[in-house]
Amino acid sequence: MARYDVFINSLADLPEGKEVQLAIRDLSPGIHKYCYQDVLAMVSPDPEKYDEKMQVRYGRGQAHPQLFSIKIQENVERIPERWR
Amino acid sequence: MYKDNREFMKALEAAGELVTIDQEVDWDMEAGAIVRKVCEDKAPSPLMNKIKDYPGHRYLGAPLANYRKLAIAMGMDPDSSIPEIAAEYLERTNREPVKPVIVEKDQAPCKENIITGDDVDLFTLPAPMVHEGDGGRYLATWHFVVTKDPDKQEVNWGMYRQMVYNSKIMTGPLFPFSGGGQVFHGKYVPRGEAMPFATVIGPDPLGAIAGSAPTAIPEPEYTGQLLGKPVELVKCETVDLEVPANAEIIIEGYILPDVSIEEGPFGEYTGYRTSPRDTRTVYQVTAITHRNDPITTISNMGVPTDEGQLLRSFTLGLEMDRMLRNQGIPITGVYMLPESTHHLVVVGVKPLYTNIAAQIAQTVFGSSLGMWFHMVVVVDDKTDIYNFNEVLHALSTRCHPVNGIHVWQGVGTPLYPFLSAAERKKSVGPKVLFDCTFPLDWDPLSEVPRLVSFKTVYPQEIQDKVLANWEKYGFTK
Repeated sequence: MARYDVFINSLADLPEGKEVQLAIRDLSPGIHKYCYQDVLAMVSPDPEKYDEKMQVRYGRGQAHPQLFSIKIQENVERIPERWR
Repeated sequence: MYKDNREFMKALEAAGELVTIDQEVDWDMEAGAIVRKVCEDKAPSPLMNKIKDYPGHRYLGAPLANYRKLAIAMGMDPDSSIPEIAAEYLERTNREPVKPVIVEKDQAPCKENIITGDDVDLFTLPAPMVHEGDGGRYLATWHFVVTKDPDKQEVNWGMYRQMVYNSKIMTGPLFPFSGGGQVFHGKYVPRGEAMPFATVIGPDPLGAIAGSAPTAIPEPEYTGQLLGKPVELVKCETVDLEVPANAEIIIEGYILPDVSIEEGPFGEYTGYRTSPRDTRTVYQVTAITHRNDPITTISNMGVPTDEGQLLRSFTLGLEMDRMLRNQGIPITGVYMLPESTHHLVVVGVKPLYTNIAAQIAQTVFGSSLGMWFHMVVVVDDKTDIYNFNEVLHALSTRCHPVNGIHVWQGVGTPLYPFLSAAERKKSVGPKVLFDCTFPLDWDPLSEVPRLVSFKTVYPQEIQDKVLANWEKYGFTK
């Protein structure tokens, strides 16, 4: 089971070995399931490379057949400071 | 008429249009799947009394997804015909607008629970995961969003979907051609100001109809027209707006002018997930208020028929009817088919002059209603616009493939499934007219084909005799 999922336009949005900014969803059970987090992360198509598994989905919701893995480096705040 | 959704539910139940589900239902797709099947089967609305993880909350699904429920919402006999419902709707909405009244907070059930500041967490509300593969949980699927023009102070209620992004943020498309979108993109964004909003979940049924209707009359007054009395509103807690006092859940906040965040994909009224995930409007939430044991309304968009398709078709068709009659065009009626996901409208007309079908198509496509549909079928005044068989027969036999089909480029919703990505980005919308009237210069006696039907080729006395003897022949009536 994946801990997170992410929507992408193409697999090129998930370069291996590079830090990438993503909007990922937390799939943990409970009332906060599907809550988004904006993060800088490392990702890999190897589901064992990083600690957390990640389901990849395309722009219209279709799931990629294989799981990726993800390592979150830090959270990102996207709301401009004057509105926080 | 019903003061709130709860009274409406009792009327649905009395008419056999409500099923109460007491076993636990999962908000994560199970509730959505129930509502989807209800829409596809035209089944009674499900009231779900026990939602996993959310004690005290309830769901009402598919509240207005067939014409019987619409008739009940209008306070009419559930078995009223579509033309009867349409006539009643037009009669009420041709009356003077009825201004709303403001009630005190202690008279407003939607204030029974008030949550503000750091305590606000959208995940304390049971936003359903409506379809597998959706971009998130959609709290607002059958609702309306209240906004106000900062200069004219005109209020707009519009039905714009909203996805829960995190505990305090919702995202969703607010198109520039929508009522609220025009004010946001035209006034607030250029000024760099955040626009106050209030999302109303579980409004009374006529308020919801007004929120989805393409009317120039402010929706609170339009609802008053439909109700026959003023709507009761109450002031919001954290924004300068008013909301229906008897609604189930209110979400208040500000739409931010200078940031966009991902939203979607979502199963849409066209029956597809058409528009890919994209960055869209950001709603920052400042307060939640709700009734005790609140009922979240769920519309599940997909293949026909859901309430979005039914009511948009109904109200778009009737606004076109009003507009064409005001232009003096001798139409006999307008009917937009919900099964077309409000993309195809049938107009009946007395063909008094050549190119009257083109005049009709250009008028409706050129209006502010035109971006929501792209197919106009014009039939003569002898064709029953509500009879699908007659309309299909007219389309198949009277529309000349070269002379009767006219194509334009216009403005359209990016949700059309057939558009290319480039067309969708620019809101380009191709339009087509199917002129199903015979040319006027054909001699009616010697050139116009004779329609061969029971009603048209037999003398009246023969028809009367056959009808009078129908059961004697051995047929059932």
